[in-house]
Amino acid sequence: MGTYLLKRVLSLIPILFGISILVFAILHLVPGDPVSIMLGTEATEESVAVLRAQLGLDQPILLQYLHWAGRLLHGDFGVSVHTGKEILPEILKRFAVTLQLTLFAVSVGWLAAIPIGILSAVRAHSKLDIAVRIVTLLGISVPNFAIATLLLLGVSLYLGWFPPIDVVSFWEDPAEAFQVFVLPAVTMGIFVAAGVMRMTRSAFLETLEKDFIRTARAKGIGKWGVVMGHAFRNSSIPIVTLAGMQIGSLLGGAVIVEQLFSLPGLGQYILEAIYLRDYPVVQGGVLFVALVFVLVNLLIDLIYTWIDPRIKY
Amino acid sequence: MKNRVLTGVFLAFSLVLSACTGGGNVPSEQSQTNEPAPSGEQAGSGQDQAAAKTELIVAAEQEPVGFDPHKVPAASSARIYALVYDTLTKLDENLNLIPHLAEKWETSDDGKTITVTLAGGVKFHNGKDLTAEDVKYSFERILNPDTGSVAKSYFASLESVEVKDPATVVFHLKHPDAAFMANTSSATTAIVPVGAGDLTTETAGSGPYMLEKYESGQYVLMRKNPNYFKPELGKFETIKFQIMKDEAERLAAIRAGKVDISSVSADSATLLKKSQGVEVKSYQSLEYSYLGINVKKKPFDDPRVRQAISYAVDRNQIVQTVWKGEAELTGPIAPAAKGWAVDPARYDSYTPNLEKAKALLAEAGYPNGFETQIDTAATYPDMIETAQVIQQQLLGIGINAKINQLEWGNYIDVWKSKDMTLMVGRNTSGVDADRSMRFFFHSEGSANVWNYANPAYDELVEKALVTVDENERRKLYEQAQIMLVTEEVPNLFLASPKNFYAVRDNIDFSPSAAGESFALVRASVK
Repeated sequence: MGTYLLKRVLSLIPILFGISILVFAILHLVPGDPVSIMLGTEATEESVAVLRAQLGLDQPILLQYLHWAGRLLHGDFGVSVHTGKEILPEILKRFAVTLQLTLFAVSVGWLAAIPIGILSAVRAHSKLDIAVRIVTLLGISVPNFAIATLLLLGVSLYLGWFPPIDVVSFWEDPAEAFQVFVLPAVTMGIFVAAGVMRMTRSAFLETLEKDFIRTARAKGIGKWGVVMGHAFRNSSIPIVTLAGMQIGSLLGGAVIVEQLFSLPGLGQYILEAIYLRDYPVVQGGVLFVALVFVLVNLLIDLIYTWIDPRIKY
Repeated sequence: MKNRVLTGVFLAFSLVLSACTGGGNVPSEQSQTNEPAPSGEQAGSGQDQAAAKTELIVAAEQEPVGFDPHKVPAASSARIYALVYDTLTKLDENLNLIPHLAEKWETSDDGKTITVTLAGGVKFHNGKDLTAEDVKYSFERILNPDTGSVAKSYFASLESVEVKDPATVVFHLKHPDAAFMANTSSATTAIVPVGAGDLTTETAGSGPYMLEKYESGQYVLMRKNPNYFKPELGKFETIKFQIMKDEAERLAAIRAGKVDISSVSADSATLLKKSQGVEVKSYQSLEYSYLGINVKKKPFDDPRVRQAISYAVDRNQIVQTVWKGEAELTGPIAPAAKGWAVDPARYDSYTPNLEKAKALLAEAGYPNGFETQIDTAATYPDMIETAQVIQQQLLGIGINAKINQLEWGNYIDVWKSKDMTLMVGRNTSGVDADRSMRFFFHSEGSANVWNYANPAYDELVEKALVTVDENERRKLYEQAQIMLVTEEVPNLFLASPKNFYAVRDNIDFSPSAAGESFALVRASVK
């Protein structure tokens, strides 16, 4: 286990190195540059040249990469080209928002999805099951932004309620934070739930066909005893895998939802930076997201061994 | 026993993660800005609260990108630093030049010396007096190439700045420059204190509001400057720019009374007209949309082809479909600049005439039209719609144009390349006719990306710049405008839209072409 962990952590190095090169290259290949965007169409050639030189954008690209990567190795993410603010504290601050949103959304999603998914599997092909399958299909196929806009307009127009505008975190003021995050969390929760529900249903259906379930039933264990006691653990692996991927990608920033609800999350931060070609922000942000994604997946792999002791690393 | 452990797996997993949150050393502590908000959060719900309302909340569509007035021209930043800093002059609602920091000014007979007397009792936020030294420093900072200021191009005529005494500053010009004082009204020419260092994150102004806090992604909070030299300006204790990037969210927020003021699109303005508690206000903007033409590229190097396009495009249809009627026809100077703009009714080509257009095309050697391309920015729906209307209309004379939508960063690159074919965009015609005419179309104008070079035109606008007599100057610009629109057609000037604000009905706010900050410092509770 120890060696496995060490190996996994060491494998982060080439992954992050690769990502840093990829992001850097893609960003610099995309047309447009931060200075033109900053100064707009009113800029003179002279002012553009001056600013480019000040930002070091006139240097050869390899040199620019080495400068950036070198500072990064010392934990220095640099400052934003546009606002002059330090990037790392900003990333962490934004990540806190995204993390709260993700956890809230995932809780909403799982609390709804897992029981219903199990029920749907146990009562396969019943009316309930068909209804669940239709609803989950809708949940997956209706885009986030449609749900978000409908929720926001619906709630504010018909209930006359509007979420607080300033974002507070759960550890500052849980009640206020709940109001801030509830609409975006429900929006994302619907998407999370739809996936988890489908996965739960199919995983349970498969497990419930297995021999050991028949044996358990033959031993006279009650229906729900079999489901919760014997099928649950054996069905969990694919569900946990899906959950890990969902959490990983949500932590990377639920860009659309953050944008629609004006949540200053990580996704919004990076998206904005892409529009403005704020190179150091995009580079640092993407690298951070990649790191989080890899770590979440490592955590999931470790959880496997706990769910199924036969899995050994 | 085992069962319970299993059932707990999922819960445990989420607990692990939430534990990370709780203990996380996430430095968001400073966001404890739950100021005891005396603000009228529930604006409009009762007289008592309205009377106690000391905070004005403005929805901002974009994140500001730094606060240095000399470096950042972006509107999202300018709306904030225009409140933090003062300029020598201002433009009023009718775009007349009015004194501000400059109490009065005199131009010498040869037009080459402008002596400015500063208003007394002006202090920077840090308590220091604002003097002629600061004015000198500011203009030198703008002119310094290392600053990279966009405003540098306004002051090409400026030779030196002389401090006569603490309240008098003298501008020595290389040649007479009739636009000089008007240019000092732009927020990008703000007066900063001597020795101002990095103004990107820190501010050092003398204006009616001070930057109190900028929480990125969330809001910018401004507090009233208690020692402002014009005490009648700035009626709210605080102004908060709430960053809300999505139009649907801004609409919902203004309806719910969570924000007091929000700029909105023409479409949303129509929607909001029925909303209770919200008033929609509009004004004729200084912006205009255009179809830019690369006059060096075939077949557009032939003025007859450009004239043909001008006759083929029905600008009224653009006003009606793209702007829902909330725009005016325009020439190179937007109609809001009443003193300078020529009435578009005087332009023959503003009445569509397909016969004449076809004849001109045939004369130029393209009786069957040709294929071409229109570049535009995907970021702005009005630009795409404008391009689509033009595309349809050009089909009428056999010109088949492909629309190419570009992401904003890419769009700016193409615009600068001087190698586009046709391009739909928007310009702001500026505070003085010189800006609208010389900057965009003089052969050396820095925004002349159309490769347009005409010595006769250059001479006209150069002459207009050094002509101090207002009437004479007006006549020269009139000639220049007519030349651009009827003969040369380096651009098609299409429509100058109105801008819309949604305002809660308990707030007195009158937006105008003078700019948002001008209206904000005069806004009050009804």
